[in-house]
Amino acid sequence: MPAASAIRTLIVDDQASMRALIRTSLQAIGCREFREAADGEAGLREAITSPVHLIISDFNMPNLDGLGLLRAVRAHPPTAGTAFIMLTGRADRELVARAVQFGVNNYLVKPFTVAQLKEKLEGVFGPLT
Amino acid sequence: MTDAVDPFEAIKVVFFQECDELLGDLEAGLLAIEGGDTDLETVNAVFRAVHSVKGGAGAFGLEDLVRFAHVFETLLDEVRAGRKTCDDTMVKTLLRASDVLSDHIAAARGQADPVDEARSAGLVAELEALTRGDVYVAPAAPAPMMDGPVMAALPVDGLPAMDEANDGNANAVAAEVPFEPVPMMPGLPEADEFGFRPVAFDLKALDTLPPPAVASGWRVVFRPKGRMYAHANEAGLMLRELGRLGQATVTLDASELPDLEAMSAEEGYLAWTVDIVGASESDVRDVFDFVGSDCDTTFTALADVAASAEAAPAFDIAALLARAQAEVAAPMTLEPIVSMAVAPSAAGAAPAATTATPRPAAAPATPSASLSASPSVTAASAAPTIRVDLDRVDRLINVVGELVIQQAMLAQRVVESGLARSSGISVGLEDLELLTREIQDSVMAIRAQPVKSVFQRMPRLVREVAEMTGKRVRLVTAGEDTEVDKTVVERLAEPITHMLRNAIDHGLEGPDDRVAAGKPAEGTVRLAALHRSGRIVIEISDDGRGINRERVRGIAVSRGLIAEDASLSDEEVDNLIFLPGFSTADTVSDISGRGVGMDVVRRSIQALGGRITIASVPGKGSVFTLSLPLTLAVMDGMVVSAAEQTLVAPLTAIVESLLPRAADVHYVGGHDAVITFREKFVPLIDVAQVMGFRADPVPPSTGVAVIVETEAGVRAALLFDAIQGQRQVVIKSLETNYQQVPGIAAATILGDGRVALILDVDALVTNARRKPARADLKMAS
Repeated sequence: MPAASAIRTLIVDDQASMRALIRTSLQAIGCREFREAADGEAGLREAITSPVHLIISDFNMPNLDGLGLLRAVRAHPPTAGTAFIMLTGRADRELVARAVQFGVNNYLVKPFTVAQLKEKLEGVFGPLT
Repeated sequence: MTDAVDPFEAIKVVFFQECDELLGDLEAGLLAIEGGDTDLETVNAVFRAVHSVKGGAGAFGLEDLVRFAHVFETLLDEVRAGRKTCDDTMVKTLLRASDVLSDHIAAARGQADPVDEARSAGLVAELEALTRGDVYVAPAAPAPMMDGPVMAALPVDGLPAMDEANDGNANAVAAEVPFEPVPMMPGLPEADEFGFRPVAFDLKALDTLPPPAVASGWRVVFRPKGRMYAHANEAGLMLRELGRLGQATVTLDASELPDLEAMSAEEGYLAWTVDIVGASESDVRDVFDFVGSDCDTTFTALADVAASAEAAPAFDIAALLARAQAEVAAPMTLEPIVSMAVAPSAAGAAPAATTATPRPAAAPATPSASLSASPSVTAASAAPTIRVDLDRVDRLINVVGELVIQQAMLAQRVVESGLARSSGISVGLEDLELLTREIQDSVMAIRAQPVKSVFQRMPRLVREVAEMTGKRVRLVTAGEDTEVDKTVVERLAEPITHMLRNAIDHGLEGPDDRVAAGKPAEGTVRLAALHRSGRIVIEISDDGRGINRERVRGIAVSRGLIAEDASLSDEEVDNLIFLPGFSTADTVSDISGRGVGMDVVRRSIQALGGRITIASVPGKGSVFTLSLPLTLAVMDGMVVSAAEQTLVAPLTAIVESLLPRAADVHYVGGHDAVITFREKFVPLIDVAQVMGFRADPVPPSTGVAVIVETEAGVRAALLFDAIQGQRQVVIKSLETNYQQVPGIAAATILGDGRVALILDVDALVTNARRKPARADLKMAS
C-alpha cells in the first residue's frame, strides 16, 4: 500500500480558505507535501516548474478554470501523467463528462469530509497508509 | 473536517475575509452590468463570487448562508448561461439580493444581528420567481417563509439535473433538519450514475516524477572588450539581435564599473547574461560571428543551466495556455456517458439559449471562452499580495518612528559638535536623512489603503436611502484608488455615510420638484477622493436645492446660537449647521438623523486632524469637502517654547506669525487680551499661562504671536516666548501612555531627546474663548 506521505500534492483554488481546508484535510489523511496556486494559470506554472503526483483543483476559478488546467496539464508531456482530482461546488453530468473526456482521475463535490477526500484519493491511488 | 478545532476556526476567519472581497466583486460586477457592461466575464465574476461564498459557507456549516446563496447562485447561473436576460428589474433585484447576502454573511460572522428573515424570505421568493421566469408579485401579507424545499424552484428547462449534495442539503434545511456539512454520500447519487469510475494512477510514477520542464534555448554570457567598441560594434545592437531569436531575458553585470575618476573612455566594463528561450545554438553563435575575440563569450544550453544552478527555468507557458483555452472554448460534441434525461419542455422554455448555441448548457463550463476576449479584466486581479498581521506593520512603523527621532538627534549632535557642513560626516548624515525619509514613506505606504473599501459600501446606502425617501438618486464615485492610512480609511466610513444620507435626504429634491425646477428627475450625488498637497480630500456633492440659508439662520436664532440681528456672511450661515445643538427633531428625519448632527461629523473629522468645508449655491446644490492628513503617525509642526517648555503647534493650523507691538494689544474687560491682525481683533492667548506653566502673564511684546485658525475658521493668536523651527515630528499618543490632557493632542520626542507636547489648537482656542465667543456675536449686533 502506498503511503499518503509520499504523495506530493498541488492544491489549486482561488479561495485561500478552501486551499487551507484541503491542506488541513490532506494532512489529516497523512499527506505531507503541498504546493498551492490561486488560479489555473498559476497552477499550471507550478505544476510545470515543480512537478507533483497529484493536483487537486477547483473547477470554477478566474484566469484558467479547472478544466482548462486539466487540459493544459494533460497536453504537456512531462505532466500528462499527473493524477488530477477535480473539486466542484456543482456536480452536473455535463461537467463530469467533460472532465472525464479531458482525463480527470476523480472528482469531489464541495463541501466534503476528510473521509470523502480519502475515499477519492484511494479511488486513484489505491488503499493508503 | 472539524477534527482540529483551531485550524478550522483560523480558516474560517480567512473565509470571512474573502467574503468581504467577494461581496465587493459582486457589487462592483452588478453595478457594471447595471451600467451596461455586457461582458460575459463580468457575469462570470458575479456568479463566481456567490458560488465561492456558498462553497465556503457549506464547508463551515453556515446553513442560512448556504440556503440563500444557493437560490442566488441558481438565478445567476441562468443568467450566465444566457437563459435569462439581465434587464433593469433583474439587476435591481440582484443588487438587493447582494445586500441580503452581505447581511447573512455579517450574521454568520457574528458581527450583526440576525438577518431580517422576512426580507430574506421575500428576496428568496423573488429570486426563485425570476429563475422560473415568473413576474414576481410581492405578497400583501408579511412575506412568507419558504413554503417548500428550495429544489422546487429549480428550473427544468434543460438544466442538467441538480444532483449535487448541496441541494439535498438545502432540502434538509428547509425541512428544519439540523444542517451537517457532511452531505456528500447521502444526497449524492452514486458516482456510477454519471458513468464515472475513478481513474487509477500508476503508482510507479511516485518514484519517477518528471524532471522540471526546461524550455529549450541558450544562455550567452557576453563581455565586450574595449576594442570591440573601437571596431565600431555596438553591444546594444547585438542584444537587440539576440532578442529577435526568441524570448530573451537580459541581465546586466555592472560590477566591473570603476569610479568615475578611474574610468577610461575606451575600455569596456559592462557584461550581459542573455537567456534566449527557443533559440538554436547556431543562431545564437551567428550573432557573435563578426566580433570574434573582441569580446569574451560563453554559450550554455538553458537545460544545462537549470541542471547546474537552481535558477528558475523559463518556459513557454503562454502557448500551453492558449492551446488549452482554445480547445476548451471550441464547441465540441460529447459522447453522453449515460443518456441524460432532458425535459421535453427544454426547447420551449429556453428558446434564446437554444438558438444561440447548439449546446446551451456548455456555457457555464466555458468561462475561458470570454477570457481570451478580455484578458485585461482578469489580469488586473492577478497582482500578488501577502497578508501581514497588522501588529507587525505597526511595530515596524513604530521602530521607523524611533529611527526618525534618532536620526534627528544625531543630526543635532553633529551640528552642536561644530563640524563643517562639507565634512564627510555631515554629508553622510544628509544621505541618511534622505534614506530615513524614504524608509518612512515606504513604511507608511504599507499601511496605505485605497478608500475603495469605504466607497464600496456606499452604493447600498444610497439605494436604501433613496428607497426610504422616494427619491431617485444616482451615485457617482471617483478616485476610489486614492490611498490613505488604514486608520484614516476606517474612520472615514461614518462621516461619509452621514454626509451622503444628508445629501440625499436634505440636499436632493423629490423627482417632481426636480422636474419642476428644470432638472432631471434623477438626482446625482458625487463622492470623490483625491490627493491635494499632502492631504486626502473627500468631496461629497449633490445637484440638489442647496442650503436654505434663511431657514438655517432662523433655526440658529431660535436655538439661541446667534443673535437675531447678527450680520453673517453666506459662508458663516452655511457653517452654522456644524454648531453643536443645531440639528434637532425638526430638521432631522429618520434617515439622516440617527442622533448624529453635523457637529459630530465635524468633530470626528477634526479628531483625525482634518477639516470640513461647505460650498453651496441655492438651487444648484452643495459641496462638502473633507480634507484629512494622509497619516496619523507623523505631522509637520512648528516647534515653539513657552515658559521653558517646548511645544509643537501643528503646521496646518498656523496662518502666520508676528512680533506683537505693545500698541497692537488691547484688553477687553481688563484682562482678556486681543491683538490687531489685518485690521481685525483676534483674541490673544498666552499659552504658558493657559497651560499653567506660569502664573503671571508676561508683556505680549516680549514674545511671538502665532496666528492660528481652528477647523471652524475661528482665528486666534497664540502667544509663545520663541519659535525654534519647523520640523516633521512622530506623533506619540499621550492617552495610551498617560491620559488625556485638555489642550494637548499628543506628544513627540525631539532631536535632542526632549519630550515635547503637541498642542490641540482647536481645544485651546475654544476653551480660552468659549464664553466670550458667544458674547462677541451678541456684542457685534
